[in-house]
Amino acid sequence: MRFIAAWASVVLVFGFTLAKPRAEEMPDLRNPKMITAGHALFLEKQCAHCHGEDGRGGINLARRTLDAKGVFTSIAEGRERNGIRMPEWRGVLSDKEIWEATAYVLSISQSGNGTN
Amino acid sequence: MRASFASSLGLVCFLTTATAALAADPGTEDPNNWPLYNRTANAWRYSPLDQVDKDNVSKLSVAWIAHGGDITMGIQQTPIVVDGVIYSITSGNRVAALDGKTGQQIWSYEPRLDPLTKKVLFAPYSRGVAVGHGMVFIGTVDGRGIALDQKTGKEKWQLQLTDFTNCHGCNFTSPPVVAGDILTFGSTAGELATQGKIYGVEAATGKKVWEFNTIKEDPKSWPGQSGRYGGGGAWMPGTYDAKTDTVFYGTGNPGKDFDASDRKGDNLYTDSVVALEAKTGKLKWHRQEIPHDVWDFDSPYEVLLFTKDGKDLIVHMNKSGYVFVLDKNNGNIDNIWPISDLKNFVKDIDPKTGELIGRVELTMDKETLICPSTFGARSWNSGAYNPKTGLWYNNVLDFCDYLKPVAQKEDPKDYGTGHTGSNDFGRLVMAPDGRKPGQLSANDPLTGKQKWSYAMEVPGFSCVLTTAGGLVFNGDPMGKLQAFDAETGKVLWSFNTGSGMRGGIVTYAVDGEQYILVPSGWGSYAALLMPALLPQLEKVPAASTLIAFKIPK
Repeated sequence: MRFIAAWASVVLVFGFTLAKPRAEEMPDLRNPKMITAGHALFLEKQCAHCHGEDGRGGINLARRTLDAKGVFTSIAEGRERNGIRMPEWRGVLSDKEIWEATAYVLSISQSGNGTN
Repeated sequence: MRASFASSLGLVCFLTTATAALAADPGTEDPNNWPLYNRTANAWRYSPLDQVDKDNVSKLSVAWIAHGGDITMGIQQTPIVVDGVIYSITSGNRVAALDGKTGQQIWSYEPRLDPLTKKVLFAPYSRGVAVGHGMVFIGTVDGRGIALDQKTGKEKWQLQLTDFTNCHGCNFTSPPVVAGDILTFGSTAGELATQGKIYGVEAATGKKVWEFNTIKEDPKSWPGQSGRYGGGGAWMPGTYDAKTDTVFYGTGNPGKDFDASDRKGDNLYTDSVVALEAKTGKLKWHRQEIPHDVWDFDSPYEVLLFTKDGKDLIVHMNKSGYVFVLDKNNGNIDNIWPISDLKNFVKDIDPKTGELIGRVELTMDKETLICPSTFGARSWNSGAYNPKTGLWYNNVLDFCDYLKPVAQKEDPKDYGTGHTGSNDFGRLVMAPDGRKPGQLSANDPLTGKQKWSYAMEVPGFSCVLTTAGGLVFNGDPMGKLQAFDAETGKVLWSFNTGSGMRGGIVTYAVDGEQYILVPSGWGSYAALLMPALLPQLEKVPAASTLIAFKIPK
């Protein structure tokens, strides 16, 4: 019983750690290849439904000041704010793909520097 | 003294209404209640209550306000009202019974939803409940049917109907239909890699008795494997005709929405009206309105019933804005007319044969301007028909979009991406002729002849209400609630509800007083996509509120 509880704790802690982006894991989000791959995902996964093909759709990303960790978390875990819901993408996209999508989003947002 | 006189007058009006109901004129039955999604079995959204009328509507005041709970994707419901009790459902399938006089909660119920609902399209939409057999019935956003005790809210039964996990999140966003002893549930599907179904369930026990597949097994209609993920479904409530034990449903679009390269048939029974025997689910007839749809012109909208010159007719609009007037007994075409002249996807639809004349086909990887947009010439929010004026009132959407089909990869674990053959639902643009993007339009439902229209800077997305008081109530996404003269379209009253309206405005009476009940809380895909066309919508506050109005004593 105790073993099960300990194992559950390990799973919980490990799972929690996996769920959060860590700064040291953050790739170079200004890498053009990463941004290009992110744009392809942005289109393929229909982020453009709400954000537009160029990020200037109904939920306009181009006017926003965004930070990398916030974007990563929103894509991974979804987002509900002011009555608007964005689905969570963890499990559909790998962490590598989420970072690529993050790189593209940052490239079209006000921050634009990829690492803020 | 004056108040007392007004009360007496109100009582007289009330009794007059009740008397009118005894005459059983269509649409006047059960005058104090709003017992069905579209109030009556003919789906008119007309109330015979006339205490609030053209002369006193300017005195309407707030009686009470109730908060619905979670604001995510707004409040999309049409509340049900039976004997002074309101049955409400809000985001995430939270159900509540409220006192119609005070708004006080009597009971509430919130199902524990499958966590997968956080990944899927069309969650947590909740557009209504159904009441009957002493129970309150809901379809859930994780694909279940649930029955609650009408008095206590305690769960009586539940049943998993859709294979939620394996059908890319197909679920229920609208209430079932009480069709005698059977409940019918229509699933979402059009944008999902699945086959949309309509289910028949015993109301008393929750036992599934039949299933109707909106994707016909027919290689001519669906060559090869193209029907496997054909979409369809029936995501708004149908109409039950007790006289013939028939439930009429409008069905959803075929998939992939815009890339039709592998489905070179008519794609039955998508974009159709289907007439099903309620007891068995057996198909009596079907009428496909948009064969081989490539513009996302679903047909799940309300099915209205009329009798004219002894002939039983159906009036049904689909997203294209064309209104089909059909023989209720066999689906034969009586007439077809367009709700708006802003249309270019066809030159016209033949009003005798239903043929789509001069179709505009889409080209892969290239944008094509299509009018109306994928929101349709009207969204799913029902119109309302007033037998006193002979007019049908609808929120017309007068804008367009650019559609671009693209090749799409299949990903069985992907619940968040639409099976649409595109990167988006269309790039919205204003009409090329510069007209305003919306209008409230009053038309003869059988001929289409327009009597009046009210142009709107921000188009309406709420269900319309019309009453025997000679009024039409409508709400816009900015929060402007208005009452119109049903004969002329003149604005008689306006009120800021604080958030946009996406649900259904209803009316009911308790203890001789008429209430106008308004769900206020902007949401759904319209809230996500429409700011690209109308940037002012980005700033609309979210809410989930029920506001009741009445004339003060």
